[in-house]
Amino acid sequence: MDLELTDEQRELKSTVARLLRTEYDPAAREEILRSEKGWSEEKWASFAEMGLLGLPFSEDYDGADMGFAEVAVVMEEFGRALVLEPYLSTVVLGAGFVDAAGTPEQKQSILPAVIAGEKLLAFAGYEPTGRYDLNAPATTASESADGYTLTGEKSAVLGAPDAHTFVVSAAVDGTVGLFLVEADAQGVAVDARIQADGLRTGSVTLSAAPAQRLGHGDASEVIGRVIDTANAALAAEAVGAMEASLHMTAEYLKTREQFGAPIGVNQSLQHRAADAYATLEGAKSMALYAKLAITGEENADEGAGDAKSRHRDVLAAKLIIDEASRDISQESIQMHGGIGMTMEYPIGHYAKRLTVIPRTFDDVDTVTQDLASLGGLIEPHAVELS
Amino acid sequence: MDQLLNQEERDFAQHMRAFYRTEIPEEIRYRVAVGEELSKDDIVTTQRILNKYGYAVPNWPVEWGGQDWTPVQRHIWLEEMQLACVPQPLAFNASMVGPVIATFGSQEIKERFLPATANLDIWWSQGFSEPNAGSDLASLKTSAVRKGDVYVVNGQKTWTTLGQYGDWIFMLVRTDPSVKKQAGISFLLIDMKTPGVTVRPIELIDGSVEVNEVFFENVEVPVENLVGEENKGWTYAKFLLGNERTGIARIGMSKVNLARAKAYAAMTRTSRGTLLDDPLFSARLTKLEAQLTALEFTQLRILSTQVAGNDKPDPRSSVLKLHGSQLQQDITELLVDVLGPQGLDFIDNAATGDGFSDLPPASVDAIRDYFNYRKVTIYGGSSEVQRGIISKAILGL
Repeated sequence: MDLELTDEQRELKSTVARLLRTEYDPAAREEILRSEKGWSEEKWASFAEMGLLGLPFSEDYDGADMGFAEVAVVMEEFGRALVLEPYLSTVVLGAGFVDAAGTPEQKQSILPAVIAGEKLLAFAGYEPTGRYDLNAPATTASESADGYTLTGEKSAVLGAPDAHTFVVSAAVDGTVGLFLVEADAQGVAVDARIQADGLRTGSVTLSAAPAQRLGHGDASEVIGRVIDTANAALAAEAVGAMEASLHMTAEYLKTREQFGAPIGVNQSLQHRAADAYATLEGAKSMALYAKLAITGEENADEGAGDAKSRHRDVLAAKLIIDEASRDISQESIQMHGGIGMTMEYPIGHYAKRLTVIPRTFDDVDTVTQDLASLGGLIEPHAVELS
Repeated sequence: MDQLLNQEERDFAQHMRAFYRTEIPEEIRYRVAVGEELSKDDIVTTQRILNKYGYAVPNWPVEWGGQDWTPVQRHIWLEEMQLACVPQPLAFNASMVGPVIATFGSQEIKERFLPATANLDIWWSQGFSEPNAGSDLASLKTSAVRKGDVYVVNGQKTWTTLGQYGDWIFMLVRTDPSVKKQAGISFLLIDMKTPGVTVRPIELIDGSVEVNEVFFENVEVPVENLVGEENKGWTYAKFLLGNERTGIARIGMSKVNLARAKAYAAMTRTSRGTLLDDPLFSARLTKLEAQLTALEFTQLRILSTQVAGNDKPDPRSSVLKLHGSQLQQDITELLVDVLGPQGLDFIDNAATGDGFSDLPPASVDAIRDYFNYRKVTIYGGSSEVQRGIISKAILGL
């Protein structure tokens, strides 16, 4: 049994960590956060140069031919530094969809540009009245002379303001289809907004906007798979952010003095920090669990992967990650006291990201219900009943 | 878990799975599976079968009946045992006094005790806690005063689990009251039939009498019953308590109990269908399943970083104890809630009068276990002690 990172992954981790430590400290991040774009083209270019944007994609499209395990390594480090660049929206979601659903021509025309850092994507799936539902879009697609046109409104489109191309879900032939829509096409309007954690997002309206179908056929399975992958990526990011929060909090308990002693000598704070640590270990375990659910399917022979068990395992991970994110972010502010309320001090920024993550792609109540309706993780069994 | 194991480990798991199910009597495993109390005979019978095949004390040195296993193999051995509802080897023998004697005892004392300890020919009791020495164990007062070739022991031990079956008791005694409290403690073995030893049962809130007080009044103990060196007992005790923490999360057992509660819930009718269709119940159950899975993976993560032969306790095992004990309690509580009003009676067996309907399964043990399991966050280092270990050893507070 080996649950540790491979040597290659360890190397990747330390390379990314080193870069972020030197070039993405809280002051550098603050500057990026307050910039007009809210993310840095220069940093994006260095991520591209390091090959981070092509990790899971085939060499045929200039990718590194690795897998989700490497993406998870990057996400965890990004979580630790609260990276603001659109990695999740472009690489995990947008390019993830193109890779999973696109034709070879579509992949060829999009993935190399993404991997080179020249093209940004965004997934436009959620809608104003649909909450987290992705199975019944009100946005419709109609066939036109040279493709399709799309009409509808999308919300919570992560990375919308700077995306060059949107991957849009829409109702077509009684099923859900995926479409590519250029951001500068006619009939496309973006209402840009900023999330609580600083990430750029927005709504997108489509008024008979020209679109190209991404792949073909019912896209429900692909949507489920890519969102599961994105949730597993968020689990890794959350672990990085939680670990950084707890580390920062423990350091604060050791250095902040009140009543003539470090506040960490108080057992009430020691025990709460210990509980936060135990919570973090559970979250790390479930981020690993989600990673194995995704990589297990990657490594399975074509068609051998089991979508139901993958989804179930990712839901279970999200349940634990969501509750841990909430507990650790709230406790970190409380144990810091007043300083934790300030924009100047980093702990509140971690809390913001850890508040948004559990509500991205799904919330903990829905996840719990969905997991239960899939039968949960343990088979009912009692000897005298069998 | 199976898909994480390599081929060799998987074969080993298969082997243990089959072994437990073919060699350990069905009726004993049944009693464990439905939460019935075990007799002394059940425990002795099981341990002797395990010992015959070398599976009673795998954590001991090979020359004394142990196995040269990897940490993963040891984990599989225990996990499969719990999943098969096999009673574990008596902890006082297998994980407490045995390893102490094997590590710190003289050749003579090893030969005298280890084979009989592995085979449960001697039933050991633990004499550590005292009325005024609980979490602060080192403040114990029971004294052993050397007089010629005997120690004269006076004092009182408490919380001696299954002491009513005990043949011998391993004790922490104060041999030097003049030094720092940890420095004056010795590890002594006492035959419980020695004059002056009295065992008094303590009735617990679950109705059981599994723990006892043990009184010592001028008990004369031959000096050759001292383990290791005089006044080094605290070192041996810390070694023993470190062993106690591993495996205390009892994840395999919690899986069995949760699967059991779920099966009962599936046949419990409500206005919505079954209890599993109740949204709040099912949310609670589902969270427990996810938490148990998280704990299992934490255990596997700790295991995968452990190198064979390194027996130093990982401070992260405090997380296993802290969350594992909490989960055990949450699952017993869930079972009580599955039963509803019929789970509230304090009864010894499920017999009902002529013409009355049968009681639902678990109606005998659920509420008793709920009260019995309050102990699991107290023994083996209370939750508060574990939090203290985490905050000091891991967070550096």
